[in-house]
Parts: sequence; structure tokens; C-alpha cells
Amino acid sequence: MSAASEVPAIAALVRERLPEVPFTASETKTYADLRVAPARLLELMTGLRDDPDLAFDLLRNVVALDMEEEGLAARYQLYSFRHSHALQVSVAAPLAAPVLPTLTGLWPTADWHEREAAEMVGLVFSGHPDPRNLLLEEDLRIHPLRKAHPLQQAEILQGIEDGPPGVDR
Amino acid sequence: MAIWPEERTAAAGDLDTVDMTVNVGPQHPATHGVFRMVLTVDGERVVGCEPYIGYLHRGLEKLTENADYRQAMGWWDRTDYLAGMCCEGAYVMAVERLAGIEAPERAEYIRALMMELSRINSHFMFLGAFGADVGSFGTSFTYAWRERERIYDLFEEVAGDRMFPTYFRIGGVTMDLPANFERRCREVLASIRQGLEDLDGLLTGNEVFVERCRGLTPVTPEWAIARGVTGPMLRATGLAWDIRKAEPYGVYPKLDFDIPTGRQGDVFDRFHVRLAECYQSARMVEQCLEAMPGGRVLAPKLPKTLRINEGELYFPTEGTKGEYGVYLMARGGTQPYRAKLRSPSFCNLSALRELVVGTYVADAIVILGSLDIVLGEVDK
Amino acid sequence: MTFGEAFFGMSWLDAIIRIVIVVLLMTVVVVYLTYGERKVIARFQMRLGPTRTGPAGLLQGVADALKLLCKEDVRPRNADRWVFEFAPYLTFIPVFLVLAALPFARDWGVRNLALGMFFVFAVLGLNIVGVLMAGLGSGNKYALLGGVRAAAQMISYEIPLVVALLAVAMLAGTLDLNAIAAMQESRPFVLVQPLAFVIFLTAVLSELHRAPFDIPVAESEIVGGYFVEYSGIRWSMFQLAEYAALWAFSIFGAVVFLGGWQFPFGDDWGWWWQLILTLVKSLLLILLIFWVRATLPRLRMDQLMSFCWKALIEVSFALLLVNGLFLYFGWSEIILAVVNWAGAAAFLGAIYLRAIRKPAVENLVGAYKHAGVSPP
Repeated sequence: MSAASEVPAIAALVRERLPEVPFTASETKTYADLRVAPARLLELMTGLRDDPDLAFDLLRNVVALDMEEEGLAARYQLYSFRHSHALQVSVAAPLAAPVLPTLTGLWPTADWHEREAAEMVGLVFSGHPDPRNLLLEEDLRIHPLRKAHPLQQAEILQGIEDGPPGVDR
Repeated sequence: MAIWPEERTAAAGDLDTVDMTVNVGPQHPATHGVFRMVLTVDGERVVGCEPYIGYLHRGLEKLTENADYRQAMGWWDRTDYLAGMCCEGAYVMAVERLAGIEAPERAEYIRALMMELSRINSHFMFLGAFGADVGSFGTSFTYAWRERERIYDLFEEVAGDRMFPTYFRIGGVTMDLPANFERRCREVLASIRQGLEDLDGLLTGNEVFVERCRGLTPVTPEWAIARGVTGPMLRATGLAWDIRKAEPYGVYPKLDFDIPTGRQGDVFDRFHVRLAECYQSARMVEQCLEAMPGGRVLAPKLPKTLRINEGELYFPTEGTKGEYGVYLMARGGTQPYRAKLRSPSFCNLSALRELVVGTYVADAIVILGSLDIVLGEVDK
Repeated sequence: MTFGEAFFGMSWLDAIIRIVIVVLLMTVVVVYLTYGERKVIARFQMRLGPTRTGPAGLLQGVADALKLLCKEDVRPRNADRWVFEFAPYLTFIPVFLVLAALPFARDWGVRNLALGMFFVFAVLGLNIVGVLMAGLGSGNKYALLGGVRAAAQMISYEIPLVVALLAVAMLAGTLDLNAIAAMQESRPFVLVQPLAFVIFLTAVLSELHRAPFDIPVAESEIVGGYFVEYSGIRWSMFQLAEYAALWAFSIFGAVVFLGGWQFPFGDDWGWWWQLILTLVKSLLLILLIFWVRATLPRLRMDQLMSFCWKALIEVSFALLLVNGLFLYFGWSEIILAVVNWAGAAAFLGAIYLRAIRKPAVENLVGAYKHAGVSPP
């Protein structure tokens, strides 16, 4: 676990190695967090993976978030085996057009993570090779992890294309 | 991926053949739960594989987001239901880190002990079920089951429940260990070691078993990392990476253990790494027993209702199948705003298609077994 | 001894009585073989096996048989009706025909055939037809895979089986099973031809679909294989055929290799001792087969076939050649036995060494070439 004192260090290192990508650095309880605009996400991620001093070769996790009034968001947790450092990249996606670039080209493991994020929250990953539902039924067009989705009605909704307001695609 | 047979253009002089699709699961003895894969086979060769998951999706994340931090713990037991304590531990430690609560040292030792026993339990399940996948008629299964029963009995004595103990608490553990725990635990450990030797003798030295597993789908560490494959499967490729050492949590920095690794990441190495990890876990349990300090098991002055202000974290732990990470986001209130499980089985399973394509039907079952998935964890 | 002639002087009645005795005996034996298998394997697996039905669970087999008789006979809609319904009979009849040729004691059998060994092979070969019919007629892909696997496996393993037995028949100079048994007064053939015995046992495991060659009925892969769609009485016919074949092959092996009713003291102590000898020897072989099942995992289809075509057939033909040379030059049987023991040791040793050898990593991640998928 990176101690709190290291957090600026890794952000500074990223800033030094990838000066052309703008991001704002903060820290979570465990790792540093880089906030980047959706348009620059792919660029940042490619840099993070390919730069020899950063070398984030493991995409640990993709978290899709519904931030209600702030729209949708995603968190990517990265880890580097070569340097044993870790990082979180966060990106916001407006609810009107929640489109993010797919990372399947960088890390094949992003495939299932993104499929799950897409069906659960409603993010759209442009260029994803196989954008079908993964955990939910194939014809189900609801996004259960949206905050507007009611907890109790999941069973009733199964197989119905038009969900209640705010949860359909 | 084709679900229906595709016509193949036959070369001159060849017989004209049509690929057949075979649906394996969700009710199938070798899918370890409700996993389904559609194999496209050309005779005995697998030319296509399409995994389907979600049959056990219970909405863990949604439920957690709608429950109190403490109430939600019970759901996390049921993700990797073979090692409930490990899942509880990951969730509880993540919440503690988020809320800034410190558990007493004795509680941390008890947690590590229970988590390692859980790991042994889960690996025993693998060893038994894998033997059955390779085709041993249940003998490995019953060998493994004997030791699992003893571990479960111990859990029952400590926590009152076998599979889903809900024994950990935010800030410690529910109650102290029973008075005769150390003696009982050492008995169980001796039995575990005997059971491991029995299984080792039954499977590792078995010519047919070796013939089936050696050299089957060897993978490189780079390949595994790109696909998010972690845990024993990654260590089988020769990369000694274990979160208990790489990003240690709890009392693991104080425990002395080795990371067993394989050489070529094939099915046999995956099996052998898990077998070796059981011995390491048994070592850790012994160290915990010896080093266990006295004192409280639950932190004093815990708030009556746990409210956490703004904050988020991703907390990785070494689950039994790989990196078991918990992402939590708090935005005030008594419920997590977002909870996300980084499930190792989920990521390992996503590599299945590439592993299976090109092998034989019988190998597909063995490879699936060697991934050691738990559907509760895959489907959340 | 002839029952019919003794009672009424009618030879056809004699034949009928013998057949009835054998069929009844068979049914009872099969019921108790399943019980025995469950008990034996349970012990290997630290369990108790059946204990509830009758004393020590002895009536479990009867209860199972009754339950199977009462169950609904389901035929899937996709199934080819006649093929599906006749397949159980065609697996079941040949096994019972084989029993007609097996000598339980001197002159105790349905018929003592001059070409007994030949008859056993010829009739057991018919078994494949039923299995293949079950696989093709069920309209189920698991069954189809199982049926095709079974056909490939049984046809292949018949060759080493026949050749290994031919080697013994050469030494005996006859195909008459009674004569072969009678010849083993001083030593059973297993002492002279251990290699033939090993090949015989391997091939028999395969012919019977027992572990480690239970590939056509692999529970964890194809969920039971060719009889996956059968239920009730038809399923129990497959079961009956399987255990009847197990017993038939064991008696056959006991007669050819272990001295049958003859060794030791078969002629001196009378027919009751001969019966006991046959039964005990066949049960020992069955126990060995159960033991193997409780211990060994399953081979893969290609490994199974290459083991047959690349190892067993060659070794069995070499055995035939060596036996021929010995007979031609008239060398002593002791030398033949020594050569054979060495051969058996070398064969088993080679299998062991091959398995524990570590293969080089040829290609990482599956066989991509075949699937047309490019490696990462």
C-alpha cells in the first residue's frame, strides 16, 4: 500500500513523464487518484501502460458510478508489477452522452469489466468489441446500479424492455 | 461467436464436416455451480467457446449500497462462499480504512488465522473437485471433504456458523476465541497436513493425472497480467506476486511465509501451487497461534451508527482465487454510496475462452477446473 | 453332468435349464456386483456405502432394481425411435451370449465350444453396435460424443485384446476354453505370459469403459455419455450389460490367465472346488478393476487412442512374434517366462517414466494453430 506521503510522488512522476495530458491529482484512502477528461482518457492510459517508468501493466478493476446530479463516472485501478506502484484514474461522463473510449485494446481484461459497467450503470464504451449484457439477461435493458433504479422491483422488471423512468437506456 | 453450426469449406479430398455446438451447463457436474459455456467442437477439438455467466447474480453491490455498513457484511460472505472469512475480512478492512477505525491487535491475529484457515478450506475444495474434473471417481473429493469438515467444525465452535460465519466486525471480531481453541486448532492443523499428504500422494504422483495436466495450456506471466489473471494462476506462471507480501494488510507483515510458484503456468502448476499454498497457510496459522497477544477483540468506543463522510478507496486483498479488491465510496450517511467487488474468479474466468480454444473437450473441463472459479464471486 | 438327460433324457431340456440357471445367476450377480462396487469404492473413499436397506445394505441392489423398474421410460422427442429403443437390447444380448461359452467348472457351462475364445470375441464385438446406436439415436450431443468415443475406443482396443489372447492360445495350442483351463494344472498362464496379462487387463478396462478409460461415459465431461437420455428399465439394461460384461470378462480372464477351475488342485478336489476357484479368481479381478476405478483419473481421448495404436498394439504383436519364435525353436518355457516378465516390467516402467517426464513447453496458451486464432 502506498503510504500517504508517496501519493504526490506518483502523480508528480506521471506529470513528468506525460506532460501533454492534463489531469488533476488527489488522493483516496489508499492510492493516488488522477482525474482526467473523457477525451484524454485513452491517451493517458496508453501513456501509463507504455511508459517504462510507469509501466502499469495490470488493470485491476473498473468501477462504474452513478453520481446522480454529476452524471456518470468511472474509476480505473491500475498496478505496475515492474515498479510495484498503484494508481487510480477517475473520469466523469455526462449523463446525456455517457461515452468513454474502450480500453480493451490496451488490456484484454477490460472486456468483461466494461461489459459489466455498461449494463449495470449505463456507460457506453465506444469501440467495445462485444457490447452485450454479461451478468444480466441478454434482452434486459435496465441499469440496476443507477441510483434511480428501485431496489425492490428487479424481479418484476425482468424481460421488460421499458423500465420505469430514469432507468431505461 | 457462432451458436449454430457453421458450414466449413472442405479441402479437396476431405470429408465435409460441420462443427457442432455443445452446451455445457448451467446444470453440468463439472461447472462448479451455475456456469454455462457453449463449446463449438470439431470432433473432439474445441474451436470456439462462449462463456455465459450471471445465473447466480444476486445484486451484491446494489444490496450493499442499500444497507448499513455493518449489515452489508453478511452479503460479502456469500461471494466466495468457500472462504467466507476471506471475503468478510476484505470488506471489513476496507470499511475500517475508510472510516479510520483501528482494530485491536488480537483481533487482527484472529482474522489472519481465520482467513488462512478459510484459504485452506477453499483450496481443499479445489483439490478435491479438480481431481473429480480430471476423472478420479470422487476419491480426491472425499479426501478433501474430510479436512473441510474439520475446518468447518472449528469455525462453528468459534463463530457459530460454518460457511457464512459473519464473525468479523468493523473494529474487530464478534467474540473472543473459545477456551480450548489452541488445542483444537492444532489438532485440525495436524489433520490438514495429513490430508494434504494424502491428496499429494493420490494425485501428484499419479501417472494418468500427470499425463493429463502437464503441459496443458502453459501461459506466460505477461499473458496472465494482460488478462487480469491473479492469484495462484499468476503464481503458477512463475511470478511470485502475492498481495499479502506486495501490499500487505492486517498482520501479514509480521508473518513469515513463502510464495509458492510454478514454472510454466500449465494446469499442473496451477494445481501444485494451490497444494503448496495450503502448507504455507498452515504455517501462518501456527505462527498466529504462537504470536497471538491477549486483550480486547473489538475496538473500544465504536460509534453506535457508523457514518462515513466523503471518501473513497480501493482496497486489495489476497483472496483465495486471486486479488479480491473492494472499492468503496462514501458520501456521508450510514450506507456506502458505491460498493464494487473486484472479483478474482470473474477476471480469471474471462481468460477462459483463449485457454480453451484449440484443446480437446476433456481438456476444456480440466482447464475450467484449474481456474478454480466460485460462481458466487463471479456473478456477485 | 447333464441335467436334462439325468432327469428326462432330453438334451434340449438340458440346454434350457442351463440357460435359465446362467441368466438367473447373472442377474443376481449383477445386483450384488453393484452393491459390491459401492461398498468397495466407499471404503477407498473413507465412506460406508449402502448401510440402510437390509442388513449391511445387502438389499440395496434389489431396491435399486425395483425402483428402476417402476420409473418412467422417457424417450426424447429428437430421438430416433427404433434405434433408441433397441439399443439397450443390443448391448445386453451379446454379453449374455458370451456367458454361454464360459466354463465355470470342468464341463460346467451352457456349452463347451471348441472355438470358445473365438466365440467370445466375435459376440462381444457386437456390443459396439448397441452403444453406437444409443449414441446416435438419442438425439443428444453428449450421447453422440459418447457413442462415437465408445465406438472408436472399443474397436481400437479389441486388437491388442485379441492379439494378447492369441499369444496365450498359441502356447495352449487350442481355442477351447475348457482345454485351456485344463492345461494350467501346474502353473497358471499369468506366470508364463505376464505381459499378455497386462495387455489383456488394460484392454478389458477399455472395453468395459472402466476408469481410467471411462471416456465414453465420462461423468464430468459428457454427463454419462451414450446413455444420458435413458431412464428406467432401459437405463438399467445398460447397467446390467455393463456389470454382466465385467463379470464375463473377469471369468474369461480367470480361465485364460489365472488357471480357471484348474489351478490349484482343480481336478483333484471335485466340482465344488472348481466353482469356488472360478468365482474367487473372477472376483479378485473385479476387485482389481474397482480398485483402479477408485484411484486413477481419466485419460483423454487422443491419449487413449495413441496409447492403443502406438504402444499396446506394437507390444502385443511383438509378444506374438516372440511366442512364435519360442514355439518354432522349442525353447524352454522358463526362458519364455523370464523374457515375458522382463517385457512386462519394461512396458510398465516406460509408461511410468513417460508420465513423470516433464514435457518441454512447446507453445504457450493452447493450440492456436488449429483454431485459426492468433496468439496474443
